[in-house]
Amino acid sequence: MRRFLNSDIFYAFRTSPVAMASAFVTVLLVLAAVFAPLIALTNPFDPASLNLMNGFTPPMEPNAFTGETFLLGTDDQGRDVYSTILYGMRISLFVGVAAVMFAMILGIFLGLLSGYFGGWTETIIMRAADVQLTFPSILVAMLIFGIAKGVTPVEYRDQMAIWVLILAIGLSDWVQFARVVRGATLVEKSKDYVAAARMIGRSPLTIMLRHILPNVLSPVLVIATISLALAIIAEATLSFLGVGAPPTQPSLGTLIRIGQGYLFSGEWWILFFPACTLLALALAVNLLGDWLRDALNPRLR
Amino acid sequence: MFSFIAKRVGQSVLVLLITGLVAFSMFTFVGDPIDNMLGQERTMEDVERLRQQLGLDKPFVVQYVRFLEQAVQGNFGISYRQGRPVAEILLERAPATLELAAVSSIFAIVLGIGLGVFTAIRRDGVAAHVIMSASLIGVSLPTFLIGILLIYVFSVELGWFPSFGRGETVDIGGWSTGFLTVTGLKALVLPSITLGLYQMTLIMRLVRSEMLEVMRQDYIRFAKARGLSNRVINFRHALKNTMVPVITVIGLQLGSIIAFAIITETVFQWPGVGLLFINAIQFVDIPVMAAYLMLISVMFVAINLLVDILYAFIDPRLRGAA
Amino acid sequence: MLRLSTALALVLALPASAENFKFAVTTDPQTMDPHAVNSAPVLGFLNNVYEGLVRRGKDMTIEPSLAVSWEPIGEGAGWRFNLREDVTFQDGSAFNADDVLFSYERAASEEADTSSWFAPVSDVIKVDDYTVDIMTTAPNPIFPDSIANWMMMDSDWAAANDANRPDKEQGNYATLNANGTGPFQIVSRAPDLKTVLSPHDGWWGEVEHNLTNIEMTPIQNSATALAALLSGDVDFINPVPIQDVVRLQGNPDVQVIQGIEARVIMLGFDQQAGAAESGQGGADMFLDPNARAAVAKAINAPAILQTIMRGNAEVASQLVSPAMRGYSTANAAAYAYDAEAARTLAQEAGLDGQNISFKCPNDRYLNDEAVCQAITSMLAQAGMDVTLDTMPVSNYWPELRADNFDMYLLGWSPGTLDAEHPIRFLASTPNAEKRLGSWNFGGYSNSRVDALLPMIQSEIDDSKRQAMLDEVAQTLQDEVAYVPLYVQPLVWGARSGVDVTQRPDNFFILRWVTVE
Repeated sequence: MRRFLNSDIFYAFRTSPVAMASAFVTVLLVLAAVFAPLIALTNPFDPASLNLMNGFTPPMEPNAFTGETFLLGTDDQGRDVYSTILYGMRISLFVGVAAVMFAMILGIFLGLLSGYFGGWTETIIMRAADVQLTFPSILVAMLIFGIAKGVTPVEYRDQMAIWVLILAIGLSDWVQFARVVRGATLVEKSKDYVAAARMIGRSPLTIMLRHILPNVLSPVLVIATISLALAIIAEATLSFLGVGAPPTQPSLGTLIRIGQGYLFSGEWWILFFPACTLLALALAVNLLGDWLRDALNPRLR
Repeated sequence: MFSFIAKRVGQSVLVLLITGLVAFSMFTFVGDPIDNMLGQERTMEDVERLRQQLGLDKPFVVQYVRFLEQAVQGNFGISYRQGRPVAEILLERAPATLELAAVSSIFAIVLGIGLGVFTAIRRDGVAAHVIMSASLIGVSLPTFLIGILLIYVFSVELGWFPSFGRGETVDIGGWSTGFLTVTGLKALVLPSITLGLYQMTLIMRLVRSEMLEVMRQDYIRFAKARGLSNRVINFRHALKNTMVPVITVIGLQLGSIIAFAIITETVFQWPGVGLLFINAIQFVDIPVMAAYLMLISVMFVAINLLVDILYAFIDPRLRGAA
Repeated sequence: MLRLSTALALVLALPASAENFKFAVTTDPQTMDPHAVNSAPVLGFLNNVYEGLVRRGKDMTIEPSLAVSWEPIGEGAGWRFNLREDVTFQDGSAFNADDVLFSYERAASEEADTSSWFAPVSDVIKVDDYTVDIMTTAPNPIFPDSIANWMMMDSDWAAANDANRPDKEQGNYATLNANGTGPFQIVSRAPDLKTVLSPHDGWWGEVEHNLTNIEMTPIQNSATALAALLSGDVDFINPVPIQDVVRLQGNPDVQVIQGIEARVIMLGFDQQAGAAESGQGGADMFLDPNARAAVAKAINAPAILQTIMRGNAEVASQLVSPAMRGYSTANAAAYAYDAEAARTLAQEAGLDGQNISFKCPNDRYLNDEAVCQAITSMLAQAGMDVTLDTMPVSNYWPELRADNFDMYLLGWSPGTLDAEHPIRFLASTPNAEKRLGSWNFGGYSNSRVDALLPMIQSEIDDSKRQAMLDEVAQTLQDEVAYVPLYVQPLVWGARSGVDVTQRPDNFFILRWVTVE
């Protein structure tokens, strides 16, 4: 810990107001999402708790029928927008983080394999990457969604959407991890210490994980951060195309899709607050990733 | 060299074939076109008969082989929705997408390089920081929302630009262009910004970081020491050397501009192939979906192939690696 | 292709004039062939280009069109139609009895999607050039009502262009081109992009409109369509999103035209023993009418109309709306909302603790997804555990056909505007041979209803017919075959100064449009 606090990177962090501010916003939003059940006023995912007559209540104004007042208003189902955003952000973040983790693990694994072994392994993996890039990520997600719908038993369908989103976004994202790791592996492989490790009989797996992996972690970290922002946006886009989180358990993206239908009707809060939350989240993560890239690149400092 | 190219082309064809197979295996899950093709008073018999006529009762592999056989002869089948050849529809729609892609690419490249250079030169200036942060806002909101907000502000509230479509187009030898009319040009503005914003941010950031990198190199320092003016250093030396990686990325991004046009075209009702594809998904118009996916695949694979071959020319060591 | 694009270029080069009328629709008609697809977007649009023997007036009543008069033959053996003389098709050729015979063969053929209209027809006989007898297998009092969308095509034109039969699979000349007798002709058509119409100078009728050039553009995204109307890019859109009505009403540049559609939105249930999807103990939960009644009582339909529909729709009590012929005034009371009674009923019927799978489309009916969400929470408040699954229609119908549901949402608009229509399609025991119950996904079955249907179809006496329709409506209500929710509202938007006429079938009839 002490070493970390004295490190260059922490010094760079402390002297960059943008980095500090974006880290603060990120942490704040993540905490809000994690502790949503504690700080939310209602549970918007519980259909029995909703009163339809509360629908379309403007922020801080009493509802015409029920007389109830809501901080950020209510949506078309009478859900408290503030609570719904907290729960929705939970889903957005979960999908984003899990999708990036999935892409990262898959990408690192395949990248190491193809870089280390080369030959046919590499050809197959890199051509698979081509196939992957051929399909725009949105398309991959739509198709996976369709398949999953066909094969999942009905009882699990409402949870299915989340996992399909993770799979779909993750699958469309692994290529860049794999490419970076493969490139770095190619460079490291030829270095003396790897040759030495091989000579003393270390297994390829050990060499890859122990010796090569630590050297590629910083670019991977940068990609992961930026991918997280992209994954959260991708989830929102998929919602717009109708393949996102279900409306009964909406993510930020689903909330924005629902809200955009009320942009012209004057019920701006249904769109505005979820959109602002998404913007704040993605922007903070993006800024953090941006700063991280510069900070981890010693030549730019 | 020849064997390398032959090998790569062979691999590319294989990639295309597998892509097609994967696509066809998925179509069954997109939905059932029959209900869209028949009206309210259809019977189950009608449904079954039409399914047989279209060959949808066959396994997807059979459907795929049949598609390939015809596609090789340039026949992509008949659209379920429009009842006319898919090739004809694609040709009719392609100009809209290509013009939109071209304009948004130019927007992204010109503005991206310009702002990238500016933020690199004035690295610590307030304006550079503002631009860098503001550019992130553009990539921190989903495209569809940016499009809808642009429509709301610039066509509904201000009335500056049309809210949908291409405006008036002029037909030149089968190519309908929106470049020759005022309404056509105006109609391009909002969709191009929506589509190009992401690429612009990407290019700007790339140019900035490459430029910062180059400016640290020794020869730039020497140039400075020799007393060359900043302008000459920035543009003749630094920018020129930045261009190689930037051009590579731009090339690769062209493909994704066309892929991402799907969303922009949906929001702006832009009559291109992306909108055609979305409509095809909604209607489960399998011939159109198949042809579109094949087209996109060919394009991506061709770009990848080209980049690989170019690299092989530049760096002979890579030939062995493939 | 070449012809199409040059024609398009010519039209696009025309300067915009005052009578240049542009309108947006959500779905482009998928064909110009009046017999190929029996769907509202196709028939609604083609009513401007083609005409039938009879047509519907502004109040939906049947009025003469290509037939000037008609009368029953004998005691219900069929109907005699006396055709209008001096009618020409848009290509200049004359209309006569041969075209009626041809259009019958074409529209009743296996390749056509309209053949069910002619199920009661035994023969069509040409008496002379301007008289046609249509014979029916049984007395059929509503036959003239049922053929308002049967459109006449020129036999010579079809033969010359190799379009003697509709072709859904490959398409043919008639898919992209049209030659009707109607008031407007197609100048150019680029499917899904733009269709341009101009008045047909040789039309037989009296011209009420003042349009010279009409452009139809499909715009799917409702926000974009609304933006197009607000920014003046189009003169007319259908539909206006229901939530935007109030805002538009306050805007002096645009107007909202509101009405009630013929479409009734309802809930259906899986009522086939052992066929429900979950396959566990609760598979047959909705076999018990009390279970269905529990759902009916748990739904606060007025609240849905008040909020999601913004007070623009009416509660429904039966499978047809009050505007339809044969509506049962005796059964006009809808199920009353009573959450407590619903809870008790649900417990008694064994619904509590069982997971109810509720399917819902999300791009088919107005605000369908929001309505289903609201229903889900209302049922949850009555102690029922509902899992809502929403999807696009392309996935929805296959899902229903595969019996993957306990409960589902359905909208039904009777093509004949008669109460007999939904009985035939929704309430009859499914029977492929007799073409009955083809949309009865839940498999509701009642032998009395099945027995009454043919009697209703052939009863000439209006009061006896109504008595039987009342009995069916009563039975369906008592057994909670379906839970009718509301009649879907119809909301059109137009620029100020555009005068249009709205009908419950949601057809946009251009000959009633005037532009200032």
